[in-house]
Amino acid sequence: MRRHLLLIITFALMLPSFAVLLVSGIGIVQHELAMESVARSYVQEMAENVASRLTGTDISGWGGELSTLELRRFRLFAWGPSLPGWVAVVHADGRLLFSSPGADNLAAIWRPNIPVGRAVEIKDKNGDLYTIAVYPVRGGERFVIAAVAWELLLGPLARGGRLWPILVVIMAICILLALWALWKWLIQPLRELVAELQVLSWGRDLPEPSDPVAVCEIGSLREVLYKLASAAVERTHLRNRYVNDIVRVQEGEKSRIARELHDGPLQNITAMIQQVRLSTMSKDEETVKKHLALAEETAHLVVRELREMCDELSPPWIDLGVEQAMTELSERLARHFGIDIIMEIDDSVELGREKLLSLFRIFQEGVSNAARHGKAREMRANIYKEDNSVIFEMKDDGNGFEPDLNYENLRVEGHRGLANMLERMTLVGGRLEVYSRNGGGTLIRCTMPESRFDVPDENPGRMVPYRKGGIPKGSGHEAENNRSCR
Amino acid sequence: MPIRVLLADDHPLTRAGISAYLAQESSVELVGEAADGEAAWKLISEVRPDVALLDIRMPGEDGVAVARRVKEAGLPVAVVMLTSYDAQQYVLASLRAGARGFILKTATPEEITRAIGTVAKGGFYLDSEVASAMGDGEFTPEQLSSREREVLILASKGFSSKEVASRLFISERTVQTHLASIYDKLGAKNKTEALLLALKYGVVTLEELIE
Repeated sequence: MRRHLLLIITFALMLPSFAVLLVSGIGIVQHELAMESVARSYVQEMAENVASRLTGTDISGWGGELSTLELRRFRLFAWGPSLPGWVAVVHADGRLLFSSPGADNLAAIWRPNIPVGRAVEIKDKNGDLYTIAVYPVRGGERFVIAAVAWELLLGPLARGGRLWPILVVIMAICILLALWALWKWLIQPLRELVAELQVLSWGRDLPEPSDPVAVCEIGSLREVLYKLASAAVERTHLRNRYVNDIVRVQEGEKSRIARELHDGPLQNITAMIQQVRLSTMSKDEETVKKHLALAEETAHLVVRELREMCDELSPPWIDLGVEQAMTELSERLARHFGIDIIMEIDDSVELGREKLLSLFRIFQEGVSNAARHGKAREMRANIYKEDNSVIFEMKDDGNGFEPDLNYENLRVEGHRGLANMLERMTLVGGRLEVYSRNGGGTLIRCTMPESRFDVPDENPGRMVPYRKGGIPKGSGHEAENNRSCR
Repeated sequence: MPIRVLLADDHPLTRAGISAYLAQESSVELVGEAADGEAAWKLISEVRPDVALLDIRMPGEDGVAVARRVKEAGLPVAVVMLTSYDAQQYVLASLRAGARGFILKTATPEEITRAIGTVAKGGFYLDSEVASAMGDGEFTPEQLSSREREVLILASKGFSSKEVASRLFISERTVQTHLASIYDKLGAKNKTEALLLALKYGVVTLEELIE
């Protein structure tokens, strides 16, 4: 039923109009027939009546002037019949003896073989219809002719009646046009849209953004779909790129680890083997001892290297909790980069492993950046709670930079460090803020929800150059925070 | 007269170990040590040793690049790659760059000495560990036909089957058939291995490959 809406609409509109057409057609025909019989009987009676009266009156000298009496008796001839028409008396040889007004066009409609005593319809040269009856008077010397002009009798009515079917036909055409428009502008575009969407691969293809033929609602629908599809495509691209990045980072890490293994432990163990071999080759005890001592020393070196690598790959002390783990890391980083790190940790802060690991990497990256790029000498790091959020801040006294960068630019320009920080925060549903300026140090602030049910932040990161007022300090920056939550 | 040897390795402990090995050999005289590729090249061109032991991975210029420079300069120095990598691709890259030997850093002092002696006499030396990864030494391969040798040499020079086919005026399919037959005869699994085995068994000479 619902599948054939268009058909139903067509029938719903077409059936009544055809019914109206039919009924009005029948009405018109019946009306014409009725009028015809009325006109016939009228002219027939009039002709018969006049003929019988003329027969009963002996008018001497036909063809002369009508007497006053006669005039009075046949005022019909002076004024004409009550219906629009006329009556005339003609001689058998065709002479018009006398007539009522308007009978002048008798000649126009007269034709030879009009039957006598019976009403018939005749058309004149103009196509006007007349009902005419001819009656003989007294043996056929003279004839009475009575006629009714349809044009005058039923003119407006007849014309109105004939207008009906035209109106109905126009109506039908309008309906068909409307249906065609409905099909062309609504049904067909909808079907095309459906067909297009059926084969559309979400996240890869885009539908046509507009349909110039369709009604504007479908246009809007298409616009909305186009936006959604674009967003899906965009998301797919982002995801692919993200996966690519991850794979690249993984591969990079693997080759870095391989390189470190090669340059460190592998070389040292090779050296150990050599020393052991040399010791077995030596004859005097002193040399043997020397070689073995060197081998042992090298073994210790290898153990230290491997331990450092393990720590770096996955720090085992991360399980000690926020305070111990971050303190340990800050000491190691300070040693490694030769930078003073002042760490303050609110001991009520608790973080899951994931989030702590994120902070770890961000801290490592941040200290590394501050020391290598910023040439910082001191860094203050701070972990505290604020409004159900855990905030980690690190602020250095280094050279700073112009952080007008967005994630895309960072990626493209190969600044993986900041991009990674941003990704780390995004993954744990947090937000990264970077405040910096050339020659003015850098503040990095990570804000993470404390709750276990993390809702990813809509706006995971931003970077702001601070033009005035310097780096916001500690917790006196609510305004900044509010602005970043727009 | 002892063979004059130069040693280039960026890892001090390994370098110390190897030089200690060499110091015990009277047939060998260590004439120089370098910690990176640049220094190695400089020393080679100045000292003109008989044999240069080059590490593949070195800061600056790697051993393979130094070997190529030696080959391009036409110096009468036999290069032996001394490395921790046992990948066959490295062997091939080294040989293409003009190296005449390939030994691992874990090789015994005797083996290192033997390698130095072999290449100094104009021979080719492949580390026994790398070689044994490709099958034991007792195997005597079936003789390759001359067409098969041509195919193997061209393929080893880095030409694709298509290029080999057009150079020998045979169809690509025929080249594939020859290669399959070569692999079968040498007991190799791929082109690189086939080449190394062919070198090992003396089916082809290094000169044929490098020319």
